[in-house]
Amino acid sequence: MVARWIMRRITWTNSEERRRCTALASVTARHDRAVRECVRILASLLIIFISTAASADESVSDNLRQIEFFETKIRPLLVDRCYKCHSAKSQPLKAGFRIDSKAGLLKGGDSGPAIVPGKPDESLLIESIRYESNEMPPNEKLSDAEISALTKWVALGAPWPKESTAAVPSTDKGYDWQVLSRHWAWQPVRKGEPPAGEGHDRIRNPIDQFVTAGLRDAGLKQAETAPAAVFVRRAFVDLIGMPPAPSELEDWTKRLAANSGSELNDAAVRQLVDTLLERPQYGERWGRHWLDVARYSELGGWTQDNRPHPMAWRYRDWVVRAFNADLPYNEFVRHQIAGDKIGREAAVGTGFFALGPNYSSDGGDPESVAQAKSETLDDRVDTFSRAFLALTVACARCHDHKFDPIPTQDYYSIAGVFYNSREGETALVDDHVMRDYHDQQRAISELLNKIKKSRQTAKQEKREISEEEQEQIDRWQKDADDRKAKAPPKYDFAHTIHDSDSRDMQVALRGNMLKPGGVAPRRFLRIVAGEEREHFTEGSGRQQLADAVVDPDNPLTARVIVNRIWLHHFGMALVRTPNNFGTLGERPTHPELLDWLAATFIESDWSIKSMHRLIMTSATYRTSSAFNETAFALDGDHRSIWRMNPRRMDVETWRDSLLSVTGELDATMGGPSVDNIVNSNRRTLYAKISRNDPLASDEFLRLFDFPIPRASSAKRTSYVIPQQFLFMMNSQFMLDRATALAKRLQHESNEPKSRIERAYTLLYGRKPSDRESQLATRFLESEPPSGSGPNRWQQYCQVLLSANEFMYVR
Amino acid sequence: MPHYNSRLPVSRRDALHRIGAGFGSLGLAAMLADAQVTAQDGNSPPSPLAPKAPHFAPKAKHVIQLFMPGGPSQVDTFDYKPMIAKYAGQRPKTVDRKTLRNTKNGLFPSPFGFKKYGQCGKWVSDVFPHTAACVDDICFIHSMHTDIPEHAGAMMMFNLGHLQPTRPSLGSWLCYGLGTENQELPGFVAMSPRAQPRGKAANWGNAFLPGAYSGIYANIASMKPDSILRDLKNPHLSRAEQREQADLLAQLNRFDLERQHQDQKLESSIQAMEMAFQMQFAVPEAFDTTSETKATLEMYGDSEFAKGCLLARRLVERGVRMVQLSHSVDGYDIAWDTGHGNIEHHRELAHKSDQGIAALIRDLKQHGLFDDTLVIWGGEFGRAPTSEGQKGRDHDHYGFTVWMAGGGVKPGFTYGATDEFGCTAVQNRAHVHDLHATILHLMGLDHEQLTYRYSGRDFRLTDVSGNVMHEVIA
Repeated sequence: MVARWIMRRITWTNSEERRRCTALASVTARHDRAVRECVRILASLLIIFISTAASADESVSDNLRQIEFFETKIRPLLVDRCYKCHSAKSQPLKAGFRIDSKAGLLKGGDSGPAIVPGKPDESLLIESIRYESNEMPPNEKLSDAEISALTKWVALGAPWPKESTAAVPSTDKGYDWQVLSRHWAWQPVRKGEPPAGEGHDRIRNPIDQFVTAGLRDAGLKQAETAPAAVFVRRAFVDLIGMPPAPSELEDWTKRLAANSGSELNDAAVRQLVDTLLERPQYGERWGRHWLDVARYSELGGWTQDNRPHPMAWRYRDWVVRAFNADLPYNEFVRHQIAGDKIGREAAVGTGFFALGPNYSSDGGDPESVAQAKSETLDDRVDTFSRAFLALTVACARCHDHKFDPIPTQDYYSIAGVFYNSREGETALVDDHVMRDYHDQQRAISELLNKIKKSRQTAKQEKREISEEEQEQIDRWQKDADDRKAKAPPKYDFAHTIHDSDSRDMQVALRGNMLKPGGVAPRRFLRIVAGEEREHFTEGSGRQQLADAVVDPDNPLTARVIVNRIWLHHFGMALVRTPNNFGTLGERPTHPELLDWLAATFIESDWSIKSMHRLIMTSATYRTSSAFNETAFALDGDHRSIWRMNPRRMDVETWRDSLLSVTGELDATMGGPSVDNIVNSNRRTLYAKISRNDPLASDEFLRLFDFPIPRASSAKRTSYVIPQQFLFMMNSQFMLDRATALAKRLQHESNEPKSRIERAYTLLYGRKPSDRESQLATRFLESEPPSGSGPNRWQQYCQVLLSANEFMYVR
Repeated sequence: MPHYNSRLPVSRRDALHRIGAGFGSLGLAAMLADAQVTAQDGNSPPSPLAPKAPHFAPKAKHVIQLFMPGGPSQVDTFDYKPMIAKYAGQRPKTVDRKTLRNTKNGLFPSPFGFKKYGQCGKWVSDVFPHTAACVDDICFIHSMHTDIPEHAGAMMMFNLGHLQPTRPSLGSWLCYGLGTENQELPGFVAMSPRAQPRGKAANWGNAFLPGAYSGIYANIASMKPDSILRDLKNPHLSRAEQREQADLLAQLNRFDLERQHQDQKLESSIQAMEMAFQMQFAVPEAFDTTSETKATLEMYGDSEFAKGCLLARRLVERGVRMVQLSHSVDGYDIAWDTGHGNIEHHRELAHKSDQGIAALIRDLKQHGLFDDTLVIWGGEFGRAPTSEGQKGRDHDHYGFTVWMAGGGVKPGFTYGATDEFGCTAVQNRAHVHDLHATILHLMGLDHEQLTYRYSGRDFRLTDVSGNVMHEVIA
């Protein structure tokens, strides 16, 4: 099901997807041809709505769709095939007829009006392109597809966006704020009364009321409660990223099944969730989810992005600590945007920005330098807006956002905050340690400078160094060497950001910083904060920016994070575009539930752990993932949440689980990263991560859909590709795990049958079926492979570890 | 060991029904008999690399990109400009343009001779004698231009259509758009003889496209056919022994599938595992040139680059969608950057690649692959007709040459032109975006329709630009 949904997203043959938006990417148009192209598109795409302004969200999006249809199918066609003879620039203009505006079409030419909106069969234009009267274009008839597109367009009433005469749209005059502000995501969070719901005996909290009411409306029934053992494995993997040990499984299964019926014991569910939330492995698991969003990377490793961040892991550990301590989410956000103004520990949080790429130019020509600078700012704005607000503010870098009310000026209002921030270090030691280090380093460099100077003087005076001078140089050198030997190592520090200035930035026209436009006062987005916004003037303005993000009246922040939490519990989020709540994102499947969760989240002091408790104690989270043909036929996309969605483990969980079931996991927490995680027994979280694959671990992680951390990633893809099985069949890592598992089984039991059972309990949390035992026995008893390779038990263990059942959470 | 399924043409449903009944006293072989069935079953969801129909009938099905990182000089190779010698040392207004280092020197005549070749009478520099003999198969584009005169960014532009390494590469887009023809080989292979081109994996990376569309890199100098892909070969087991193990895994996965009913992902994973099994043998075979005839090997000659050319032919012959072969030398990731040093070094670089390039064109023809394969030669920018230092040339992004051959382009044809000194593209100017639009067009893809939704908008290889150069299409 997941596969089908993803395939639909990526298959270009899906016309609906393609029609929705043509790429209008954040280029800096430098070249004159590119500039002309850009101006043409910008001028045409500056969206104002069609004259019949819409009155509801649906019609807004209908209109948007029509305009998109025009911009993707119709305008390019007119430009390519008709403009040569029928536009303002045509020399000469043929038949006195212009096709480059709606007015021109309505007025028509020598033969009268070219179109009658809504009536293609009465439109001269359509007759002509069908070669029924005039034959246009004269040289070559349009294709059938093109003719039917134009016919459809006229039938739709020939929608044509209002054109701006300004070549460079840099103000927000183009938006109809009243209409645009009706989009669901800009509305205040409303905590509504939960509906009655269905199946009262199973309802555990308001989540179930919202979900079952939706199921009832969709004519579906909620799946049965999952068996206790399945639930235990699910809860373990979800919260700590590893399956339970057999004794834990047995214990919790017993406690959960303490009820007489098929329902799980509520108290036991609560205790299980609480127990797991208290484990430090919880922070390692959930911190990693956030590191995806934060596009966490330690190395750029590339000519234009090569500033090293050797202490990046300090930020990673900070995130893990924050989750384990249940740092309220509003503080978590505040620390990452402006922690340097709060304290040393909080400052580490600003690694969120400090670890991003710092693009540089490798030739130094001014255009490349400006381009690199603006690309770096783009990273900051993009990561900031998608991570905290699920907005694509970076789309407004060169032109006003095409679909969301985000004018270019708003982009530079946010960019300005980061334009006044620089990357630096925060010492994590007492001041005297730092002072000591710097004193020593200064002394050493002073000595070396003296030596240099003395040599230079001699050179300038065109003479040899005197004996006396040489003796002095030697003394300095020795002193310097002694000091170097004794000097303390560089103290611990974190990569952090700091204010560098406090000036508003100018809009970069068409994204080009060499062409500054009007001033963009540093302030928050108008669509969130309204027209009268606070001007950020304290330093860079980061602290004020952080305040604006976590303002309880900001409709986005709480919705965005509860949606992310939901995603990682169910595999699918309530808003299925977790990094885009704008008009091109998806609408929530359960808008009232999303709001109820967001409001509850703020009421519970932005506590993420409370949100886990709420979700995981619901009946909805307890449902079985069993397949149901009827429900699948009605809702194969699982939008109504009729069952738990079966999920394939992400690479961290899979590798950590492998090491944990073989008994090899090294549970050490934190510290510098491991260069090649494949050769280590540490958790996968501790792999060194890069943006350009120079590391041995990169290849392994990428093989299993670990995102390339060049940009914020909300949701992992999950692809099944053959190379993954090459890894399972042939890699030393898997051979070693198989050997370890075989050894463990051998150690824990003498008898083949009970070893097989033990393996099934360890790996899958259940007993093998008869045929599975039979097959295993037959395989283990058959003639072993020749040579000194793995024996049958090792081969068998490798198969069990590579099996789908191990990799899936159900 | 026999392939059990070859004598057991059972449908998947029958197989599931049968194993559901349990085994009784069957032997191991019989128990595993159904294991490979699913791999041939048409009901499984397609892999992300399964072939997809193009937007319209393609002219070419494969691309071989001969990438010349560092920027070969157009006026010393294929864009003959006798006027440079006539005005040697002078700096006419036409060439008085700001290049990377903003040199102020005068025109510097090519140290190489030029001769006319072929039916089309194309002038080619003496450093490319073999390629010169193929001019009647080649379509030259002299009017290329790009955005900036520095290597890193311009290389990204040439391979990703964007100055920063944040976008998918051409080959990734092609695999995303078209899939690939042979599921037992990677869809996109990148190779270089020595150093990886500057920017490394970004040149063949998938960026935000799914990982399945990433290029696989092979180093020609150090490659061994059975280690092209990581973990391609089992260190201990024979094929037959591993077959048993793979069948056991397939059987357990099928039990699981049966329990979970119709989960498509589980089906595709059984299919992918069987593909992986086959890859172990198909990949080394494709990269092993020992079966080539002596005549073929001699035609290519013994340079490392030529070996890459031969491998490129073998790969497209087996259905690989795109091969990117970058020319490189030991320790230098922009081999053709001989500018500020000595343009004379072009002679050696050309020598090391010339024979292989010509052999590739001939070999593709001999194998009937030339019409389906688009060969593209060029670097990220060109070099100025003026001198930098004594005998060098600075970067020139205003005008440079790229040529294409095979797959639907006009043979023996020249498109566009630079000014009389070869500095700036003046006639039929073609930006890199236009080249990309044209390549996609030749492959049957509309560059405006090939989009991927990411981060709130639809991305394209050509960004917001690109016009197909219809005149170069045969």
